[in-house]
Amino acid sequence: MDIILQFIYSFFATSGFSIYFSAPLNSIIPSGISGAISWSIYYYIIHTYNSKIIAIFLGSFIVGVLGEVLAIKYKKPATVFIIPGIVPLVPGAGMYYTMLALVENDFIKAASFGTETLFAAAAIAIGIIISTSFSRSIRSFKKAA
Amino acid sequence: MNHFTIKDREEVKNLLTLALTAGIAMLKNGAETYRVEDTMNRICISRTNIKNVDSFVTQTGIFLTLEYEGEVFTYIRRVKDIGYNINKISLINEFSRKFVSTNISIDEGLRMLEEIDRFKDYSILVKLFGGSLLSGFFSLMFGGSFGDFLASLIASILSLAILEKLSKYKLTFFIDRFVGAFLASVFSYLALKVGIAHSLDNVIIGTIMPLVPGVSITNSIRDTMSGDSLSGLSKGVEAILSALAISFGVGIILNFYTKGLI
Repeated sequence: MDIILQFIYSFFATSGFSIYFSAPLNSIIPSGISGAISWSIYYYIIHTYNSKIIAIFLGSFIVGVLGEVLAIKYKKPATVFIIPGIVPLVPGAGMYYTMLALVENDFIKAASFGTETLFAAAAIAIGIIISTSFSRSIRSFKKAA
Repeated sequence: MNHFTIKDREEVKNLLTLALTAGIAMLKNGAETYRVEDTMNRICISRTNIKNVDSFVTQTGIFLTLEYEGEVFTYIRRVKDIGYNINKISLINEFSRKFVSTNISIDEGLRMLEEIDRFKDYSILVKLFGGSLLSGFFSLMFGGSFGDFLASLIASILSLAILEKLSKYKLTFFIDRFVGAFLASVFSYLALKVGIAHSLDNVIIGTIMPLVPGVSITNSIRDTMSGDSLSGLSKGVEAILSALAISFGVGIILNFYTKGLI
C-alpha cells in the first residue's frame, strides 16, 4: 500500500518538474511514469535490502532504459525523458542533512552524509551511462545484422 | 533544385552560422556537449563538398571548423547563461534530422531555427505550478504530512515567483541559488510558525528541490566519463558551487533555528 502511495507522489513530483523545465506536452506523462517507476524500485530496494547506493543505481538504470525506449516511441532525444526521470533520485535531502549536521557542529555525521550524497550522484551518472551505452551497442548490432 | 552541394563561399558562411545557431540553442537549453558536437557535425557533413568537419564544445564556448575547396573556415562563439528548456532541445534535434535528410535550403533552415527560438513556452504561472508540484509531492515522498505538503507548495511557489522577478537583473547563478534557498527556508520556517507544517526538515527538503543542480551533476559526471573532461569539469564546478550556495542559504536559517534565535 505504501509503495502505491509513493508511486503516485513521485509521479506528480516528476511531472511537475518536467513542466517546470518546459518539457513537450506529450512527454510529461511518460516521463512522470518513468520517474515514478524508478522511485518505486528505489523505495522497494531500500526497504528490503537497506542499500542506498545500489537502490539509486538500479533506479537510474531503469530511468535510462525507459528513456531510450520512450525516445524511440515518441521520436524525441532520450534526454527529454531522462532529465525529469532522475529527479526523485537526486540527493537533495542528502545535501540538506549534510548542512544540518554542519550547523550542529557534528562533523562526523556531516562527512558521512556528504560522502553518501557524492556517491549517490555518481551512482545516478553510472546508471545512466551504462543504459545509454547498452542501447547504443544494441542499435549498432541491429544495424550490422 | 539541389541544396546538398554548396555553391560559393557565401553559402559556406551561412551553413556555419546555421550549425552554430543550432548548437548554441541546444547548449543554452541544457543539452549534453556530445549531443551538441554531434548535431553540428551532422549538419555540416550533410553537404557533399564540405570536408574535415570538426567541432569542440565546452560549457562556455563553441568552436567549429570545416574545409571547403581547400579553404578552412573556423568560427568561435562564446556561450553564457545556461538554462533548461527540454522542449527546445527536442525541437532542434528534430530540425537537424530533417535538415540532414531532406532537401532544405540553408536560408530556409535559418528561418526554421528562428521560428524554434520564438517558440512559445508555458506561461510563468504554469511553470511555477509545476515547480511547486515537485516541492509539495517531494515532501510527501520523504514522509511529510498533508500540512507539510501544503507548506512546501506555498513556500515553493512564493520563492520561485520572487526568483523569477529577480531573474531580469541577471544575477550570477551562485547568488541566484543562494537567494532561492534562503527564501525557501524562510517561507518554510514561517509555515512552521503559523502551524501549517509539522516538520521543518521535510518542508525545506521539498522546497529546495527545484533549485538542486541534479541534472548538472549527473551530466558533468557523464561528460567526464565519456572523455569530454573539460566540459565535465566546468559543469561539475558549477554544480558543486550551486550546491554550496543552496547549503549556505539553508544553513543561515537552520543556524538561527537550531540555536533558538528565531
